[in-house]
Amino acid sequence: MTQTQDMPPPAEDRSEDSSGAQEERFPRAAAARRALLEAAIPEAAFEGWNEATLARAGEIAGLSPGEIELYCPGGVLDLLETWSRQGDAAARAQIEAEGPPNRIRDKVTRAVMIRLEQYEGEEDAAVRARARLLLPDALDRGARLLWATSDTIWRAIGDTSTDGNFYSKRAILSGVYASTLAIWLDEHDPEKPKTRAFLDRRISNVMQIEKVKAQWRKTTSGLPDLTALAARLRYGPGRRS
Amino acid sequence: MSETRFQRRQVKRPGMIDRAGRTGEMIRVDHAGEYGAVQIYKGQLAVFSRLPHKARIASQLRHMEADEQHHLRAFDRLLMERNVRPTALGPIWTLAGFGLGAATALMGEKAAHACTEAVESVIEGHYGDQVVELEAAGETELAETFDRFREEEVAHKDLAAEEGAKDAFAYPLLSGLIKTGCRIAIKVTEKV
Repeated sequence: MTQTQDMPPPAEDRSEDSSGAQEERFPRAAAARRALLEAAIPEAAFEGWNEATLARAGEIAGLSPGEIELYCPGGVLDLLETWSRQGDAAARAQIEAEGPPNRIRDKVTRAVMIRLEQYEGEEDAAVRARARLLLPDALDRGARLLWATSDTIWRAIGDTSTDGNFYSKRAILSGVYASTLAIWLDEHDPEKPKTRAFLDRRISNVMQIEKVKAQWRKTTSGLPDLTALAARLRYGPGRRS
Repeated sequence: MSETRFQRRQVKRPGMIDRAGRTGEMIRVDHAGEYGAVQIYKGQLAVFSRLPHKARIASQLRHMEADEQHHLRAFDRLLMERNVRPTALGPIWTLAGFGLGAATALMGEKAAHACTEAVESVIEGHYGDQVVELEAAGETELAETFDRFREEEVAHKDLAAEEGAKDAFAYPLLSGLIKTGCRIAIKVTEKV
């Protein structure tokens, strides 16, 4: 019964893990989606990401409508998810392979550029993909993918925060990445000078938050320790020894 | 749009019984638990640590906090290795844990021990359940780690009981409240 063991996982089971481990567990489904994606990208550059593109990609890749239904139960959005996660995985490998720069802001800048470069040569299809993911029925999926990309970048540059920072870092980088992607897609110079300048400015904005946080800590550090005060009220100061 | 499109949620697919996210859930809730435990001890220490006549309980609490810190670091590592996200409720558990620790410490030394005893007995059962589940899922290495942690939590519980946790004022009520709180926190944190 290899067929049943190789079913694609339902979408809700794929939501958590951005590492692509799910893909490895279902190699046949992953290969089918990759083939569909590869066939769909040139089509989508002109036609956009819609049901017709998916059907056409199925014809090119030699998959029946039933197989498309099986491997992409969410329709064309499943292909966009495959594309985004594939880009994440490739970017992560590249970021980890390169010797990372020292300063944290250089690390983030470099990592964002590497992630964007995964769409090199496929900008037209990526523009259409971005437009498709902004439609109402894809809002949750688009947000999830953006979050996964942000997550990948932080993990790839070795961030190990596991407290509230985990969420604030990803939320901030999601905003930076989404806005930079728009500029990157719009710029035709292969060196992307406008994008780099834009990204630098956004990261400077983020650094400002850190400054405010440090200032806040400095201002509040002089306040009295209420717990210790309550402790002395409850138990008395005790004998000094 | 063709008519043959299935509604994703209506089609039950075979072969998906094992849930890939389950181990991640366990690591997330345990990480949050150890994080909360560290905060409880910190809250208690904030009360006792600077009182010279409470040095004995302070040193016991410091010792237990060090154990929990060690567990927390292990879970930090597991979160990263397995691409699991930490709980989004971290800031709430920080406040709740510290508050619980400080409040019970202010109630008295025995109440502080009663708090430890209640929390650790829930954790003991929780780790025990997870060890069984992990072994069934074939995660023997993780099961061994969890079992070692469980034994250390049991040691904390026994110490607290020896120090007179059960003589605390309104012990059954206090212990019951804390245990219920812990169980609710566990259920919520598995998902969030």
